[in-house]
Amino acid sequence: MTGTFVRAAALASALGPDLESAVERLAGAPVAPAQNTKIGGPWPYFAIPISGKNWRERAEAIARSVAEDLRRAAAIAPARWAALPCIVGSSSFSVGAWDEGGWEALEPSFEFSRRLARCFGVHGPVTGVSTTCTSGLSALDIALGLVAGGEFRDALVLGAEFCNRLTVAGFAGLELLSATAARPCDRERDGLVLGEALAAVLVSAAPSPWRIAALATGMDAASVTGPAADGSVIASAMRAALAGACWKSAAVDLIKLQSGGGPLADSAEANAVRELFAPVPRVVSLKGALGHTLGASGPAELALLLASLARGCVPATWGFAEPDGELGLAPSGGDAEGVHRVLFNLSGFGGSVMSLALEKAG
Amino acid sequence: MTVYLLAPTSLRVAPDDFPARVRARFASELRRAGRFAQLCLLGAQACLDAAGGDGPLAVLWASELGALHATRAALDEDLARGEPAMPFTFIATQPHLAGALLAQRSHPVTRTACLYLPADAWPSLLRLAQRWLAECDRVLVGCVEESGSGGVAHRSDWCLFRKKPAAGALRCERSPRPENAAGATAEDWIPRVAAWRGAAPLLLRGGEDAWSFAFDG
Repeated sequence: MTGTFVRAAALASALGPDLESAVERLAGAPVAPAQNTKIGGPWPYFAIPISGKNWRERAEAIARSVAEDLRRAAAIAPARWAALPCIVGSSSFSVGAWDEGGWEALEPSFEFSRRLARCFGVHGPVTGVSTTCTSGLSALDIALGLVAGGEFRDALVLGAEFCNRLTVAGFAGLELLSATAARPCDRERDGLVLGEALAAVLVSAAPSPWRIAALATGMDAASVTGPAADGSVIASAMRAALAGACWKSAAVDLIKLQSGGGPLADSAEANAVRELFAPVPRVVSLKGALGHTLGASGPAELALLLASLARGCVPATWGFAEPDGELGLAPSGGDAEGVHRVLFNLSGFGGSVMSLALEKAG
Repeated sequence: MTVYLLAPTSLRVAPDDFPARVRARFASELRRAGRFAQLCLLGAQACLDAAGGDGPLAVLWASELGALHATRAALDEDLARGEPAMPFTFIATQPHLAGALLAQRSHPVTRTACLYLPADAWPSLLRLAQRWLAECDRVLVGCVEESGSGGVAHRSDWCLFRKKPAAGALRCERSPRPENAAGATAEDWIPRVAAWRGAAPLLLRGGEDAWSFAFDG
């Protein structure tokens, strides 16, 4: 099988400092996020359980930890590792440094991207990309181009979102935060819960268990904060991903929902899913366990989902109990037997919509 | 792969003149968009007007500092007072907003990305535009920087890439001989292309990557 593959992934998230502990924890009973008044207001927040002397040193400590895990999982020669290009997707980059150090502590987003790349020990070209909540998948999109175009055999994608007051204050100002918990697809859901994550995904031309069959993009400019209520652009992106992968809709075994927690956006995605799929295949959301990790959510949810599937399990959707009749989606976890084709949705502010088709190789 | 460049457009606007320029072009349409998005749209729309044509459009732009003014406003005016950020101020901190605003102006935008790149990495934009042209007929490419101080102009430089030749377009190819190319940065490569009138190709280098620009035919 040819194409571009997910060779390895690593993750630091609220579920644990590494991917293995995250998958183990996800297989257990749901854990509610703690309230974090440090980031401004009494909001629950999914924080990475790694500490540091200050904001920047903590970010670097997290990056070094994820880098070590990824390097071990990737098992590629040191020279090849060092030459990797690194594409960093984030919606906030280093803005959290302001919380402690003011303007002097802030650094340009490219410099912060380069700082993260250095923590990974890679010295190829560095690019920062910002497309709000789809930033990490946009980074993946760029990486896929580098590999498919033959410029590089492997490429490193980082999705980075670190704790900061600006993001919390922004979502609080938009009245999108839940004061209690993230409840994807649940009829009692009342907003989103933010989280931080650093996820690393190594994509490669060398065959690995999951092939990236297609990545489709769309732009829904109905409003700068959300998609059109009918979900037409989300449906188009999913349709394009199916076409790119040469799949019929019935071939999809699992849909990883965006399920961001905004009422309009959730409804739009549900409309799109129901338009394309009858019956709707199994669906899952990871935001009840990771929180909404914004620009990191693409790589973070990809890493967690593929690691869970590798252990033979479709993860449970934490926070989901009773279906919302209006959405008509009921996430279900359990045995991953028979899950060979996954559609992976993501969307964000500013109209960016993406749908990724993943296929089990061999 | 050869691509074709149209309507290189270079805007330099003094900070004091900027609000009037935005009002003159967009009336009150962009009043809540934030300065970075306004600056992007001022240049991007001028480029599209000059290039003409229609059809699906991808938009790709780069900046070193991004939405400086909105970020300052959100941090210094809202957070420093311990208040939630004003919604439009917060949204304006996202440099990607410009893509949605362009799409709202009836351009059929299919994909967008805002990159953070150092000054000499502008060829990355061209390579990515080349790849996007495999799926889209037109890619609008920009380099945008807000002024950080009163004495420096805001800049918003744009050009339109197409995969097919067009009247007045420059043929644009990656050059195998970077050593023969003149060094250029994000600040001056589009202005230099715009000013080029020579019979021989213009060779410009950023980092280790060089590109040639030549009049077609």
